[in-house]
Amino acid sequence: MEHTSENNGKKNFLEGGLKGAISKHHKKYLGTEIPENYFATSKLSILDKIKSEEIKVAVPPKKQLVFWMKPSFKYMAAASIILLFGLTIWMQNLETPATIHKITIDEVAYSNDVLLESLLIEESELETFTNATLFQEVVVKAELSEQKLENLILNTLIVEDSLLDDYIDDKFIETIIL
Amino acid sequence: MSKDAELVKKLKDATLKDRAFNELLDAYQERLYWHIRKIVVTHENADDVLQNTFIRVYKNIQKFEGKSSLHTWMYRIAYNESIRFLEQNNKKNYANIEEVSEAHLEVLFGDEYFDGDEIQKKLQTIIAGFSEKQQRVFQMKYFDDLSFRQISEIVEISESTLKSTYYTAVKIIEEKIFL
Repeated sequence: MEHTSENNGKKNFLEGGLKGAISKHHKKYLGTEIPENYFATSKLSILDKIKSEEIKVAVPPKKQLVFWMKPSFKYMAAASIILLFGLTIWMQNLETPATIHKITIDEVAYSNDVLLESLLIEESELETFTNATLFQEVVVKAELSEQKLENLILNTLIVEDSLLDDYIDDKFIETIIL
Repeated sequence: MSKDAELVKKLKDATLKDRAFNELLDAYQERLYWHIRKIVVTHENADDVLQNTFIRVYKNIQKFEGKSSLHTWMYRIAYNESIRFLEQNNKKNYANIEEVSEAHLEVLFGDEYFDGDEIQKKLQTIIAGFSEKQQRVFQMKYFDDLSFRQISEIVEISESTLKSTYYTAVKIIEEKIFL
């Protein structure tokens, strides 16, 4: 231990500073005592306490955690939820405005009241709208024409068949009569 | 390498720690005990605080960086442990400093390990009348023989303030004790 010499060489109010063993000094000036053999027993007691403290530190109580409460699982669950949430938002934003606009024009073009619907279309989209309308009309008209033609042929065939049947029936009767 | 530096090195080495701690106890136990005893007054209290101090030293030796000497570092731990002990007890029992001083003397003279004569009782009474700061500074300087620089590191007060506090205390004692 480092001792100071600041007290040395001065006339002290008691005696000439710290002399001899520290315990004697305290006993002499302050009248304080300690139990016999105290420092030896105290040393053992301190060492025992340290050993028991060390045991406490070495064996921390284990916490039994259910697997879904373990930190690693919690992080994985949180990450999955965030991923799902992000995917949902991303999927919603996938349909571009151009696609939506195209569908709108097609729907309007196929509407029955073309003149009225044309008022709702912007000028820049008018050409696309006109094309869609014309295309729709051509397709519908062609379809209708084809259907008419098919009906006509079918009717003709039916009429022809009925006439033939009538003829056959008449001839058959005539033959029987004759 | 100084003896303390060598001791610190051994204390930080897990294989040598226990043996080194034995050496540390031999070197400092008695000094720290008296340092604590003067603050907490009774032997029983000093024993408790001494044990806590060494446990704290054992647990925290890895954090000791050598900025101050081992001796100052340990005194500081002992001082803080003693103050903590007093604060806990004084808060429970006493309302002001006068009560604490009276209680201090009562406890001291009632302690089975105090057998002071009249002059010793007189000195203790004068010291108990000091402010807490004066008491600590006087005791560390006079009885523990620490330098002002060491005391300054322990109690975190400037050296010039410590000197003035100490010499004022000495003057008061000289006047009162030789009346």
